[in-house]
Amino acid sequence: MRWIALQACTTEPGPLRLDAVTTQRAVASLTLSFTPRVVLLDEAVLLDVTASLRLFGGLRRLLALLKQRLSLFFESNQVLAQVNIAYGATSLIALGKLRHPVDGRAGDLPMHTLSAVRPHLDVLERTGCRSWDDLLGLPRDGVARRFGAPLLAALDRARGSVPDSYDWLVLPEQFEEKLELDALVTHGPALMTGVQRLMVGLQAWLLGRQRGLCALKITWHLDKRRDVLPTGELLVRTDQPAQDLAHVTRLVAEHLSRQALAAPVHSLTLQSLVTEPLVDAAAATSSLLIEDRQSGGCSALELIERLSARLGDDHVQVWQGCADHRPEHMQRWVPAKGALKSIAAQAINAWAKGKNDQKKARPSALKPSPSAVDALYPRWLLPQPLALQTQGNRPVYQGPLQRLTGPQRLESCGWWMDGECAVGGASNPDAPRARPPAIRDYFIYRSAVAGLLWIYSERLAADDTHTDAPPQHVWFLHGFFA
Amino acid sequence: MPVPLDFPPSTRCSSTVALDNSSVWRASELSTQNQSTLNTGYARLNQVLPGGGWPLGAMVEVLQPHAGQHEWGLLMPALAALATLSALAVPPTQARQRPPQQLIALTGAPYLPFGPALGACQLHMPRLLSVHAEPGNAPALLWATREALLCADVAVVLAWLPDARSAHLRRLQIAAHTHNKLLFVFRPLRAQHESSPAPLRLRLEAASAEPAGQGANLQVHVLKRRGPPLESPVLLDTLPGRLSALLAASRERVRSRRISEVSVAPAAPAMADLSSLSPLFNRFKTTSKPDHALDRTASLHH
Repeated sequence: MRWIALQACTTEPGPLRLDAVTTQRAVASLTLSFTPRVVLLDEAVLLDVTASLRLFGGLRRLLALLKQRLSLFFESNQVLAQVNIAYGATSLIALGKLRHPVDGRAGDLPMHTLSAVRPHLDVLERTGCRSWDDLLGLPRDGVARRFGAPLLAALDRARGSVPDSYDWLVLPEQFEEKLELDALVTHGPALMTGVQRLMVGLQAWLLGRQRGLCALKITWHLDKRRDVLPTGELLVRTDQPAQDLAHVTRLVAEHLSRQALAAPVHSLTLQSLVTEPLVDAAAATSSLLIEDRQSGGCSALELIERLSARLGDDHVQVWQGCADHRPEHMQRWVPAKGALKSIAAQAINAWAKGKNDQKKARPSALKPSPSAVDALYPRWLLPQPLALQTQGNRPVYQGPLQRLTGPQRLESCGWWMDGECAVGGASNPDAPRARPPAIRDYFIYRSAVAGLLWIYSERLAADDTHTDAPPQHVWFLHGFFA
Repeated sequence: MPVPLDFPPSTRCSSTVALDNSSVWRASELSTQNQSTLNTGYARLNQVLPGGGWPLGAMVEVLQPHAGQHEWGLLMPALAALATLSALAVPPTQARQRPPQQLIALTGAPYLPFGPALGACQLHMPRLLSVHAEPGNAPALLWATREALLCADVAVVLAWLPDARSAHLRRLQIAAHTHNKLLFVFRPLRAQHESSPAPLRLRLEAASAEPAGQGANLQVHVLKRRGPPLESPVLLDTLPGRLSALLAASRERVRSRRISEVSVAPAAPAMADLSSLSPLFNRFKTTSKPDHALDRTASLHH
């Protein structure tokens, strides 16, 4: 049998302060990836690694791996902690060696390293018992009479003559933890210190369960003496299941920085709403992910989520093409956050295509074939066509213009779009398509100030009401050739 | 006391040692620092830029009178080349991880980039990410620019920052340097006399209406570079081939029609038709009535 005893002490106050219980629970959750037989005993975490030794390549490598994993975890969470490790043939030997680091026999361990002895320590001292061996030398029935059965049971367990079995640690299905804040908090951003402390526990839980976080809920409990709702809450979702919570923490910070608190907050609850199992076992180990972060910064999806959180979804946009002949309907700039999945899928497709092409040594297939007409479009489009002043029959934009080419005619609204016109007109009255059927003639003009302009004159088609009136010309600026 | 003109040999020796260091260059030569660059797509521009292209990991500051005038023309060849490169080259270290996306981030773009036209220039439109801020919220735009620079999947950042100050730009320059990103910052002309941390500063100007019909439409003044100052601007033709061909053709058509109309005795209806072609021609019609086509240019100078 092989047992490992672990203890992490937060040696000095680092940037983030954790209490002993949180630290112990975090360590226990992390070690669950090495063995399912983990138990919290007193101040330490005990692991039965008998069945894991072969998988991890021996006790020494397992110890090194444990130590590395733990220190990496604490480092990434900005906690200064010292990890103590000891091992032994039984759980209590390992624990005793953790409490009193010696290299010798287990029998030489001092009395106080056995928890069950502690109530009787004074008596044993006076009877001359200094070490475990001295206690084992005493007659069994006398010890049972004098000190009670628990001490004898502990001794048997330490010697390994009774099974070393405990109620093993099982992590709950959902993470939920409540934290009493040190002081009343009145500003949203100041909640972040509390959230960070809870996040450490959440990350340990995720690592232990080998799951990624998709959505979490933060609830803050307001001072009950104020006449406001007792709690406020914040829901944060990520697009990809995350195990490294730095990105999630930043998202929460963005949201909290804009949060107004109605009353002082005295405690916080962090709850995981949706989690997904991480299929890739390699990705489930935190070390790989942290290395990635350190070398490469954040990914595109994280960037989009963060930008959207601060600037608003409508201000972070990606492009979508549409099949339409009217320039303003050929493309749509849509909020990037909704289109994340499709971007990722496209990128993966393009990448796979690139790889295939590389295999086939046919890189030219990647290039889209430029179409003849597209090259004649301007590269900047105005969001709304700008109505231009006219001088005589010519448009004016920041001075006189010189016509270069044109016209290129297109129907901006015809009878076949009637239904669409009606719908568009109802929802968006100032959209150009809400107008009666019209014909546009596009010209390229040169302006001495603004370069090449894409200008159209819209001629309203003959209506029933204006059959006798001459067609009206209205000039609009629609784009720039940059 | 006369100063010796010759340096002692030891000094000369140390100066050559110093010059071996690639971060030191003679002021009269272009910097040949082993800095990675990206081909601009314009041979004339490559010649005058240190390293022969757009510098990676440094800020390029572009000044122009109006935002949105020449950006795409100047950058399009490089951006298109980058898209093709990134789709093909998957570094072996990243092969096991997720594929690189190589986004092009635009912050504070003055208008909407028009996909069909840009796509025709081989730009992969779904890779564009456009970020705006509320009008007047310049700090948010700066923040977004910096965040984009920190992102591993972003290859190029184009930022329109009219209100940025030197200290802000310095932070962006540092971010671009540490993460080895291509960063273009577009600013108005009034920023020309402010100090700037950018190692490369350009001023763009539309080339004067050229009579020949082909050739340059853009003048690039190099205001600052790691090398000697450049006296004369670089002339570039940045319009897409089809567009410039179309413009040349229509110009040719106008000229030939004008010549033929003038050389034939100009009749009244023909003149009315021509009046829409050019304001110059209008003036010519009202001021004088020359008999011959050759007199036309002379009359225009009055």
